[in-house]
Amino acid sequence: MFEELAVEHLYVHVPFCAKKCAYCAFYSEAASGQLVNRYVEALVREMQWVASDLKPKTIFFGGGTPSLLNLGQWERVLQTIHRLGWHGAAEWTVECNPATVSLHKAKLLRDGGVNRVSMGAQSFDPALLDRLGRVHSREMIFKSFDILRAAGFDNLNVDLMFAIPGQTLASWRQTLAEAKALGSEHLSCYEVIYEEDTPLFEQLQTGAVQVDEDLACAMYDELLLAAADAGFQQYEVANFARHTASAAAEVPDRACRHNVNYWRGGSFHGLGPSAAGYVRGVRTRNWSNTTMYCEQLERGRRAIESTEELPPLARAGEIAAFGLRMTSGWPLEQFQRRTGFDLRQEWRPEIDRMMELGYGELNQQRFRLTSKGLRFADWAGAEFLRS
Amino acid sequence: MDAAHIRNFSIIAHIDHGKTTLSDRLLHRTGTVATRDMEEQLLDSMDLEQERGITIKAHPVTMLYQAKNGETYELNLIDTPGHVDFSYEVSRSLAACEGALLIIDAAQGVEAQTVANVHLATKQNLTIIPVINKIDLPHADVAATKAQMEDILAIPSENAILASAKEGIGIDDILEAIVARIPPPKATGAVSVQALGFDSYFDMYKGVVTHVRVFNGELHAGMQVQLLHSGKTVEIKEVGSFNPKPYVREKLETGETGYMTANIKSPKDVKMGDTITDARNPAPVLPGFKEIHPMVFSGLYPINTADYEHLKANLGKLQLNDSAFVYQAESSVALGFGFRCGFLGLLHLEIVQERLRREYDMDIIATYPSVVYRVVMTDGTVKEIDNPAFLPEPTYIERVEEPMVFAFVISPNEYIGDMMALLAEKRGEVDHTETLDPRRVMLTSTLPLSEILIDFHDRIKSITRGFGSMDYEHAGYLTSDMVKLDMLVNGESVDAFSCIVHRSKAEGRGRTLAAKLKEVIPRQQYQVSIQAAIGGKVVARETVSALRKDVTAKCYGGDISRKRKLLEKQKEGKKRMKSFGSVNIPQEAFIEVLKA
Ligand SMILES: Nc1nc2c(ncn2[C@@H]2O[C@H](COP(=O)(O)OP(=O)(O)OP(=O)(O)O)[C@@H](O)[C@H]2O)c(=O)[nH]1
Ligand code: SF4
Ligand SMILES: [Mg+2]
Repeated sequence: MFEELAVEHLYVHVPFCAKKCAYCAFYSEAASGQLVNRYVEALVREMQWVASDLKPKTIFFGGGTPSLLNLGQWERVLQTIHRLGWHGAAEWTVECNPATVSLHKAKLLRDGGVNRVSMGAQSFDPALLDRLGRVHSREMIFKSFDILRAAGFDNLNVDLMFAIPGQTLASWRQTLAEAKALGSEHLSCYEVIYEEDTPLFEQLQTGAVQVDEDLACAMYDELLLAAADAGFQQYEVANFARHTASAAAEVPDRACRHNVNYWRGGSFHGLGPSAAGYVRGVRTRNWSNTTMYCEQLERGRRAIESTEELPPLARAGEIAAFGLRMTSGWPLEQFQRRTGFDLRQEWRPEIDRMMELGYGELNQQRFRLTSKGLRFADWAGAEFLRS
Repeated sequence: MDAAHIRNFSIIAHIDHGKTTLSDRLLHRTGTVATRDMEEQLLDSMDLEQERGITIKAHPVTMLYQAKNGETYELNLIDTPGHVDFSYEVSRSLAACEGALLIIDAAQGVEAQTVANVHLATKQNLTIIPVINKIDLPHADVAATKAQMEDILAIPSENAILASAKEGIGIDDILEAIVARIPPPKATGAVSVQALGFDSYFDMYKGVVTHVRVFNGELHAGMQVQLLHSGKTVEIKEVGSFNPKPYVREKLETGETGYMTANIKSPKDVKMGDTITDARNPAPVLPGFKEIHPMVFSGLYPINTADYEHLKANLGKLQLNDSAFVYQAESSVALGFGFRCGFLGLLHLEIVQERLRREYDMDIIATYPSVVYRVVMTDGTVKEIDNPAFLPEPTYIERVEEPMVFAFVISPNEYIGDMMALLAEKRGEVDHTETLDPRRVMLTSTLPLSEILIDFHDRIKSITRGFGSMDYEHAGYLTSDMVKLDMLVNGESVDAFSCIVHRSKAEGRGRTLAAKLKEVIPRQQYQVSIQAAIGGKVVARETVSALRKDVTAKCYGGDISRKRKLLEKQKEGKKRMKSFGSVNIPQEAFIEVLKA
């Protein structure tokens, strides 16, 4: 059921941001030079810990704002990755914020083996960037994009948000048009999530902002049209990528393979404060406190706060549930290999129910949610969970 | 003790006028209870009674009092329940007495319950000793209280004793008056023993303990006695009295009060107001017996269906000490298996629910309370209907009669307009308006019992800022235009929400219920229509729009565990919902709607 070989995916969390955005519930804090250095050293130690069980095909540096590390700090990280022999990863993504990429840094990353950058643009509307509390301007998005291209990146993602309080359908259309013009290989578009303990959530509670479900749905419809029109293929609820090979594929070839591994229930190591890992059925989470994280590693311990291991059927249910977020759904054979359960048998009533509602589609190869079903992916996913 | 040295009396009063405090004083003054054993409010022993300050069961207590004339008297105090829900119990307790202390709070004056209780006592021909209590209060107004006593109760005020139960003022005068004014019990002269059973409780070891007052002859252990109304014959195991704890006595003689045990297992075998007599030589029955019929019905259902057996066992336990409470298994499409329960009134219903929740730790839902309607069918037969589900089709109904009450409402002058409006809203006819004193009036009104069930008392309190009071007595049945209101969810009737209402109110109630349901039914995959209908005619409707989406925008490796737990929780929540066709209605919706 589990990979016999070393784990093939690595996530690294960089817990620093210049300033907290209004909607963000990720663990990140303001970067003080001292703490960032200490973090880099702890991370190097943590990499050491997993070295024997990792041969990464994908690496993903997320955050926070990984691009906030300075040149020296990045050099130290890249060096370690080379020393451990991980630099040959087929897909190596670093998340960047538009205000934080210099040509120098971009080149350093590219030369070090990073081959994909995910840029948190969020919007092209200055008023909305302000509303979201983003530190960058609209112009910086274009500028950073050019820098990345100049540094040799040919696989770029742009993150956008919709249903932002104050955003109109016209403004969203405009943003989608500008994204198309940018010509990235990948597009991730999220409806705003009101996460607890964020300023945006507070505003929702006090009634300062309201959710307009109809408008959000209209924006999603608009997104599907615009993405198709720009030549993107949807492969997950919120993710779109170009497909360059001539033969059609269920998952486009510029899809983020690292993320696909999450939805397919594959193993990955997670390093850095608050990072989650999932290795052969065991989920772990690191301490969400940079100082504590560093202390643990400095004392020669791992920084794991909690672990969770589900019994086989519950684990299979979880894997089924989250895999349904992909437009290609679950290839039946792959599911059986991964979980040991037959999707069609164990979840027969659920599958039938989804099909009755027009939410699901079953054929010889796979079960998947229809485009209508994808809009109820949480409900569908919950139905597949087993306790 | 010889009958000439026995006095049996009750204390009657409006809520909080000081009945319990005075009883405690009397126990103390007669040395029945030593000071160090005195707990406040000795007679209110049940937790709930202590907390709510209301007396639910009638407790008899025997005191020995050495009067100023040097002789010792046996004084039997029978503490009665104060609330009208228990008016039959009150009337049975009063029937065990020759006199009553009528307590009136000097600061508040005559209140609604004072009036209702005096009516009851007068009907029983009791000697009333008026006591004006709380004279220690700075705003006590003895003169005004006396005037009200004369005007409203028609009781001569010169006989009133001025007292403060709290400060111990007037206690001796009260004891002397009990001896001097209340007539001693007289044997009835029947052929054998006659005793009135006026209450009972259940004891783990002794079985049912019946409270008795002997009217003729004597009761002692070993006697074969017959309970004339229930028809049972039993052998007395033990007789005794209370001080206030039970103590065994050799016998109970004419005029005495106490208890008997006879290995009676079920309280149903002892009817409230039953006559106990010699089995071999029976005497005639004592007057005044009535079968008690519950006035208010409500379905009680366990929130967790697995608790059904547990609920059943607990209802049985409750009934052991509350023979007026009845229950019977029933089932509802909406709520599953539960019990149709009958109560004497709304307070009784609340008490039972609260005891189930608190003493027995049960999660229960109660359906909307219903009174008992008398349905005269076209074929002339009469059906008693206490559950809307069983109301026959209108075509078979000749007419429906509903139970009425005769209510006394006392209100400060300035709220009289609002009070009249409230009575009109409750379909009440004002029969009589009487000035109590320069500040207050008393309205007497005939109105349907169903209208005063839910919020009548609270509304009076809120209109009068707490200064108003209300009490009522039952006033028979009257023909009324009642209809069944059904609530339909996606076309399916949800039985738990059905109710019988007056035609003039059906639409309004339908609208309120529909709006409330719209609030509490969560949005689902489909549009949900909510309709209120009277006999197929829709009078109100609401729509819960369909969910357009249910998907988390962003979900990556670090989110999976948290998200899964969230989804599991939501799913768990849905399991606790009841499904109607394809619509899920959460448990809370039922509770919310029943409160609406
Ligand atoms: N000042 C003063 N307060 C009194 C007197 N008698 C009773 N109270 C107070 O009035 C309140 C009600 O007294 P209770 O004895 O509980 O009244 P009750 O008539 O038994 O009340 P219910 O059982 O609820 O009908 C309590 O707070 C007593 O302390 C009195 O003579 N003077
Ligand atoms: S930059 Fe990204 S991680 Fe940092 S606060 Fe903003 S959204 Fe959160
Ligand atoms: Mg009391």
